[in-house]
Amino acid sequence: MKKLIIGILLICLVLSFVSVACAAKLKIAFMPGIADPFYFTMEKGAKAKAAELGVELIVGEYPKAWGPEYQVPILKALVARGDIDLLFTAPTSTEALIPVLKEISDSGIPIITVDTYLGDGDYTKPSNYNFPLAFIGTDNFLGGQVVAGQLALMLGGKGKVFLENTNPDVSSVMGRELGFRAGIKMFPDMELVGVEYCLDVQETAAAQVNAALLKNPDLGAVFGVNVFSAQGAYQAITSAGLEGAVKVATWDATETLIEALKRGEVDLILAQMPAEMGALCVEWGFKYLTEGAEIPRKVIPGFFVFTQENVNDPEAQKYIYK
Amino acid sequence: MAKSNNDFFIDFEKLSRNRTILLVGRNWAFIFLISMLILFSFLGKYFFSLRNFNNIILGVSSLLLLASGETFVIISGGIDLSIGFVMGFVCISSSIIMRDLNAAGYSPIISIIAGSFGGLLLGLIPGIINGYLVAKLRVPPFIATLGMWGIANGLAWRLCEGFPIGFLPLQVRDIGNAYLAYFSPKKGFSFLIKPELTERGDILSLVKIIPIPILLITFILLIFAFILSQTKFGQHTYIIGGNVDAAIRAGINVPLNIIKIYMISSFFASVAGILLVFKLNMGVHTQYTSSYELFAIAAVVIGGASLTGGKGTIWGTIIGVLLIGTLNNGLMMMGLPIFYRFIATGCILIIAILIDQFFPELVYRE
Repeated sequence: MKKLIIGILLICLVLSFVSVACAAKLKIAFMPGIADPFYFTMEKGAKAKAAELGVELIVGEYPKAWGPEYQVPILKALVARGDIDLLFTAPTSTEALIPVLKEISDSGIPIITVDTYLGDGDYTKPSNYNFPLAFIGTDNFLGGQVVAGQLALMLGGKGKVFLENTNPDVSSVMGRELGFRAGIKMFPDMELVGVEYCLDVQETAAAQVNAALLKNPDLGAVFGVNVFSAQGAYQAITSAGLEGAVKVATWDATETLIEALKRGEVDLILAQMPAEMGALCVEWGFKYLTEGAEIPRKVIPGFFVFTQENVNDPEAQKYIYK
Repeated sequence: MAKSNNDFFIDFEKLSRNRTILLVGRNWAFIFLISMLILFSFLGKYFFSLRNFNNIILGVSSLLLLASGETFVIISGGIDLSIGFVMGFVCISSSIIMRDLNAAGYSPIISIIAGSFGGLLLGLIPGIINGYLVAKLRVPPFIATLGMWGIANGLAWRLCEGFPIGFLPLQVRDIGNAYLAYFSPKKGFSFLIKPELTERGDILSLVKIIPIPILLITFILLIFAFILSQTKFGQHTYIIGGNVDAAIRAGINVPLNIIKIYMISSFFASVAGILLVFKLNMGVHTQYTSSYELFAIAAVVIGGASLTGGKGTIWGTIIGVLLIGTLNNGLMMMGLPIFYRFIATGCILIIAILIDQFFPELVYRE
């Protein structure tokens, strides 16, 4: 028995040397925030860039729900491999992830935060969360304002709008809400008549938008902050027979939403650039590791706005999440 | 010591002889539902309207099916945690069948029928496995169905890769969002076919009577309410939940009955999944945040069933679901933020358990 155990341990030892010897490539790890089309698209963008640069991309298991309690155990298992040269991740909490990522950073793995950030996302000033190399991601507040402005344009600067949000405890969608509120305030004849939270359940979103339509027969537009809230919103509006009359704006260009846009059930889609974000993380990480390049502390890839006019343009197709 | 305890507690036996209190105790959920309807009608301006009632009932239609299936399981003394994700799994798989057949050039009708029946058949498998694990291998229902909870969710996720399944034949949406009858002040009555209206005022004044999904659900519920209350299988379900040993001594084939019960639960989850495809015009996997299984169990308990088994009815469950739906909608129409709605649902659930716990003589039905 003893011999057997010693034998197995020896084999393990030899195998671990073999795996170390094989690891000539740079290894960049990606720890996503949650299993959804946005991060899948980000992974695809990162993978393509990694293949181009000859970097090995290691992707952590996708957390099933949003939050540090789901993400941190997977993240710890990911870095426990011990052979990672750089990590880029979407922290699921602006506060709770600070000590966790600090520990990883202190152990010699440089970190880039993507899509979401630590603290207030400003890594240039002195703070306990300024250790990441960079934040690469969207400015949700700005995006919310862009949607408000575009809707105002569609409605001729006046009318009632409703906001269908998902979770009141997630910084990205709350950023969109705050930006949207601020954007709508800039138009004196526009009014935000209500905000609801559907917790990412499409059926709930539909019921909430139905109720909003009932309370406001003259509703002009609904902004659904993500895929599920938007799908619920246009489902409610379509089944009421009001597609086109009540505008639907949404965030994130999934194929299903693009299909709905082509059918005229959705009027405006703000696309982030997740593939670009993933590619940027790999590219800047590679430059940092190989050339010691200085990375800008904040990189915002910008937005693309889909409307019925431009949805079929060949140029626009690359912004669809696939 | 024992004597002072008796002094402290109310004499329930004496209370249970009072017919009025007995009636209230047995029907508290129904009475609560009616009083809520009256209260919200005064408080919320748009609450008392056909459109809002349609919204309430359509909003809880998935829960209604899930909770009805769960009723069978809970009466038998078990619990089924997998239903919410079985629903998501069936929703994804039947929409994939519809999408792929439609893309391959089959007619929409064939694609839709194949997708619906394919989903229904696939959805029975989790029930068979759950039932087998519980009945034959003696795995505690909580653990067996928790396992299936993960498996069904993982499979759904694998199949759709996190994306909603779109590109279904458009007839799916037309069927799922149809009503039995329409009345337009401009165009009069019409059955099943929605009148073409262009003016916003006309569209909003269109009266829609009985959503088609609700008609189907009612039909299914009538059949299963009959099975539970009038057939031998239904009686056996109550006996198994009340006292398994007595059921075995009485010569009931307990394992077979339990497998059937879990299949019924899965069947209801599958129907819910397929109806969801029709309602949403797409396949979506169930979100963790939706907690369908917990709300289904809550509705069953509010409806008068006991988590220890042997008690409960489909009618009670329907009232439980409507109570949750109405409470949610009423508070929303009043403009109360979502946080308070959670608190309110929680309070109602606790009241239900308290009544079940402390007034067993009142709630128990002979």
